[in-house]
Amino acid sequence: MIATFEVPRGGPRGGPRAVARAAAGLLLGALTAGAELVLLAVAALLMAYSMAFSRGRRKVPGAVADGAELLAELELWRLRAFLGEDRAVRYGPLKALAYLVLRVPVGLLGGVILLLLAYGAAASVRLAVGWWITGDYMDGIPPAWWIVLYTAVAGVVLLFLAVQGLVGVAAMERSVARRCLGPSPLEEYERRIAQLSVTRAQVVDAVDDERRRIERDLHDGVQQRLVALGMLIGRARRAGDGERAAELLRQAHEESQRALADLREVTWRVYPAALDGEGLRAALETVAERSALPVAIEYDVPGRPPHAVETAAYFVVCEAVTNAAKHSGAASVRVAVAGSATMIGVRIEDDGDGGADPGGGGLAGLARRVAALDGTFAVDSPRGGPTVITAELPCG
Amino acid sequence: MRVMLAEDSTLLREGLVRLLAEEGHRVEAAVGDGDALIAAVAAGPPDVVVVDVRMPPSHTDEGLRAALEIRRRWPGVGVLVLSQYVEKRYAAELITADTAGVGYLLKDRVAQVDEFLDALERVGAGGAAFDPEVVRRLLAAHGAQGDPLARLTPRERDVLDTMAQGHTNASIAAHLHISQSAVEKHVNAIFDKLDLSHATGYSRRVLAVLRYLGS
Repeated sequence: MIATFEVPRGGPRGGPRAVARAAAGLLLGALTAGAELVLLAVAALLMAYSMAFSRGRRKVPGAVADGAELLAELELWRLRAFLGEDRAVRYGPLKALAYLVLRVPVGLLGGVILLLLAYGAAASVRLAVGWWITGDYMDGIPPAWWIVLYTAVAGVVLLFLAVQGLVGVAAMERSVARRCLGPSPLEEYERRIAQLSVTRAQVVDAVDDERRRIERDLHDGVQQRLVALGMLIGRARRAGDGERAAELLRQAHEESQRALADLREVTWRVYPAALDGEGLRAALETVAERSALPVAIEYDVPGRPPHAVETAAYFVVCEAVTNAAKHSGAASVRVAVAGSATMIGVRIEDDGDGGADPGGGGLAGLARRVAALDGTFAVDSPRGGPTVITAELPCG
Repeated sequence: MRVMLAEDSTLLREGLVRLLAEEGHRVEAAVGDGDALIAAVAAGPPDVVVVDVRMPPSHTDEGLRAALEIRRRWPGVGVLVLSQYVEKRYAAELITADTAGVGYLLKDRVAQVDEFLDALERVGAGGAAFDPEVVRRLLAAHGAQGDPLARLTPRERDVLDTMAQGHTNASIAAHLHISQSAVEKHVNAIFDKLDLSHATGYSRRVLAVLRYLGS
């Protein structure tokens, strides 16, 4: 696999370090919950006071609002750092207060479970020490094998319950934060609609840019050649007949061949016909053949992706390779296309001097093209190179 | 004639240089942008400059701006503008009162070598040359509006058409295969119908007509 695509997962990943981190997070959460309980009690008094004496103004006092937001911010940091919860949040003081009120019991519950765990661990150690080291048996019962077995089974079951409790508390912590501080479904829709409006406008812009480029290509290339061709023929006619005329006609004939070649180039740039017929792989191979630089292509996509995705991937590669040849001073380019049924990843790397501007015309156009398909697009081009351009395009 | 060229396409520039050299003109400068052209003209004004409208850096109207500046600073230099497409605004901007030595051709007209050289000669000699396509567009735009032009007979329209391209009465007669006196009669009729003063000098006739059309 040449390109790996991380799948974001809610929650901590496995592994002893992650478990320890989560446990530390829960412990911290229990401590903050205790502190928040006290602060909430103070805040309740303050609010009751301000409601009673505010002459009808129903507002959360500034100190309470600021404090609530600060604490919510702190809790979010804890969730991010220890429990791997990382989502967009939007909240005001009221939401923050509601969140704190709801999370205090959750945090305290986590603390209680942690205490039970600690108590269980200490009791197990005391029992084991009494049985096998000091000989000071608990309740005077010697460690017969069935006594040890029954105690161990009971201990493991309790341990399992406590750990499950902690997992549940972590999940509750996350869901309370999401419910209270995250965007509501309506806000999610609004954000999505805003994003769609932007990408739609950008698509129109990108199309216009491309048309402008085609016009420029035709005007600067093909049209100039045809005018030059006409001039050559005109000169040949004015030269009368003879050697000069024959020479000019020969030149004109060559010029007509060049005009045709230009026209082929432009039509190819407008839309590579191979993309429809033979698919992305064939089209990319043609890009490699036509490039001034050596281009290595690794292609690992099962089946044929949707047409729009193929086209976008093609143009990303095409533009990136053209840029590398024109501006980067690279000696070679590596293109990797990898995919699954749900996602196509494109990665173009050159060994040039870097310093590519993601806001430049071509790259910005690509970003818009990819955004229109809900994909992600990134340009990493430090001074001194190398330049790496990546795009991920969802299929379907 | 002494000619200077400003054209960003190297291919076309070289072609023009060769063509003009073959015709016995002296190409004193062949440059790729407006600023270089102005600098060259400032160093020693030629008889005529040929300038492409679309040139670097912005590829919009650099050439036209250079042309207008040359008209302003060196009124004696003929200016032949080559344009990508008919842009009435450009034609109107070029045609200022009592000037001569202006030409406005479609770029593709260069391929019609005879017509291009003919236009260049006329502009260099202080005359005018407007692309038949420009004239056709302007006439068509006006013909649709029921203005005085619509009152012209088809023959008179032909004469005006040819006249607007900067031709003299003699060459109009040759173009339309009619006698010169017939041309003069038509021209007078045209001026009567268009309420234009009986100006002499063919470039001013053209400019008057075009100014009228471009208004």
